[in-house]
Amino acid sequence: MINRRILYFSFALLLLVGLITLGLKVGSFKADFYQLKAALFAYNPDDQVHFAIVQLRLPRLLLALLVGGSLAFSGYLMQAMVNNALADPFILGTASGASLGASLSISGVLATTWGSFYLPPIFALAGAFGVTLIVIALGYRKGQIIPAQMLLAGIAVGSLLTAMVSLFTFLSDSESAVRSILFWSMGDFGRANWNLLPYPTVALALALLLFLFLQKELNILLLGAERAGTLGVRVARTRWIILATVSVATGFSVALAGSVGFVGLIVPHVTRSIFGLTYKWNLFLCTLIGGGFMVGCDILSRLLYPPAGLPIGIITSFFGVPFFVYLLLKKSYKFN
Amino acid sequence: MFVKKLFYFFSIFLASLFYACQSKQPQEKQINSVTVTDDLGRKVKIPANPKRIMALAPSATEMLYAVADEKTIIGRTQNCDFPEKVKKKPVVNNYPMDYEQLVLLKPDLIFTVEGITPAEVAAKLERDLHIPVYYQKYEKVQDIFKGLTNIGKILGREERAKQVVDSLKNELAQIQPVKTSNAKPQVLAITWNDPIYVYGQNTLFTDKLRFLGAENAVKEVFAQSYPALTREYILKLNPDIIIGAEPEKMETTFFKQYPELKKVKAYQQKKIFKATDDLMARPSPRVVASIKELKNFIK
Repeated sequence: MINRRILYFSFALLLLVGLITLGLKVGSFKADFYQLKAALFAYNPDDQVHFAIVQLRLPRLLLALLVGGSLAFSGYLMQAMVNNALADPFILGTASGASLGASLSISGVLATTWGSFYLPPIFALAGAFGVTLIVIALGYRKGQIIPAQMLLAGIAVGSLLTAMVSLFTFLSDSESAVRSILFWSMGDFGRANWNLLPYPTVALALALLLFLFLQKELNILLLGAERAGTLGVRVARTRWIILATVSVATGFSVALAGSVGFVGLIVPHVTRSIFGLTYKWNLFLCTLIGGGFMVGCDILSRLLYPPAGLPIGIITSFFGVPFFVYLLLKKSYKFN
Repeated sequence: MFVKKLFYFFSIFLASLFYACQSKQPQEKQINSVTVTDDLGRKVKIPANPKRIMALAPSATEMLYAVADEKTIIGRTQNCDFPEKVKKKPVVNNYPMDYEQLVLLKPDLIFTVEGITPAEVAAKLERDLHIPVYYQKYEKVQDIFKGLTNIGKILGREERAKQVVDSLKNELAQIQPVKTSNAKPQVLAITWNDPIYVYGQNTLFTDKLRFLGAENAVKEVFAQSYPALTREYILKLNPDIIIGAEPEKMETTFFKQYPELKKVKAYQQKKIFKATDDLMARPSPRVVASIKELKNFIK
């Protein structure tokens, strides 16, 4: 078992390196491996190809990696917390909250710029956090988070916000604004740049570090809250930590890249089906696979519809869902 | 007893309703009609002498004002704002289509532009409201002249259309292409910042630039007329001129958001301009005015 895990892990890592190399090559400027190497190790900002690789392609790939990782990570936590195979990071309403914030700003209901500051990502972040707080408040009773209640609250609030996004999309008289909102609601890495990357990086790194210490609790939580309680897990506290972590990690993701669907749902299942239900490093592997999957989807989207690519959520669903179904049928995989 | 009475009144009501619907039919047949083919190749049965016309697109309304007798134009859409006097006409919302307002205004012919009115709406107008819909399509500057001539024919105002077209053509002929020592200036027109949408190769914009000796920087033909581009793609295009918002506004929005694009020639040589939105976007008789405006940026 250990050997097989190492084999899978090495394979995943190799695939990721390959994908990143490929991702650095795909773009409007043609670049061979020699140029790629030169751009990375002997960067010359006046060389157009170097500039495109280092200033445009690399941050885009890293953003995809971070967003995919954050969403898969958050999905894994949410599934453990509510003990439900259908949970994903967006059940807290983050996605719809971010979409609403962004579309309000894009359609001009709220300001689009403040001075020279481009506001949609800020409103998206505010929307994500605001809605998460509302959903948590609705799922909260007598000092406890009730997962089932929170799940339903998330679905209800999410539907309401989705309706509001549709309303603003409909009322917008600019075709470009409509397409812009669509890109937001389906995800897009086009606005990646180096200045934005520290936020999701720090959020994800801290979150991973935190759960390095909570790994055991997380696995026990999969047995159900009651049994976890009798086994000495402080269920309420763990749930709060999970909620806080997930809202920060998903909040930054959706604020920077829009709400990319399915990754947070599928990748945790894929990880568990490959590495086992309670493998020690599952959370890290899940983050890695999520990131790699997202990088792959982004490259595919740019190859299929150059130059700007298709909205990323379309690709994740198209290629993620069949693979997921295959895994479900092929493996004797059970969630709990 | 009461039920019987109710039934009796109800049947009278139904019968009169039926009669009312029926009696409408003969009137329509009395109008002389001709069948024409519109720019989409659709066969449209239109009145021989349309007296109540309107357009469902701002550009088409401008076309009608250039050729038609103003009194026969009976309405406009919420977006039609040129010429100024059109604002006095009653408004018909075109998105979503306000069918009831059309029933009220009773146009006998509707003009529209491909891409503005969905085929589904046109089908409903023709089938349920019995209002013929004539589509026009503009890819080249020449198509606008042809469109004006066609409107003239349909409305029985060939003379007027010829006058308008001749004067536009004259004006156009007087515009001299910009003389450059090197290659033709490459112009990129941006319509939206996030994602970056631009005027694609298959837009009227490309043909307008031809008259000025300039070219659309976007050469590739995309599925969408206004494709989304990446920063890398624009760096590669390296346009000489960018048309978007005012330079100061571009500095604080577009180039603030995408500082990488400060490398392009247009930014380096401060050739960033704001064109009048309606002149850029509408395929209308103001096309020559639009070309003249573009010339100010290219010279």
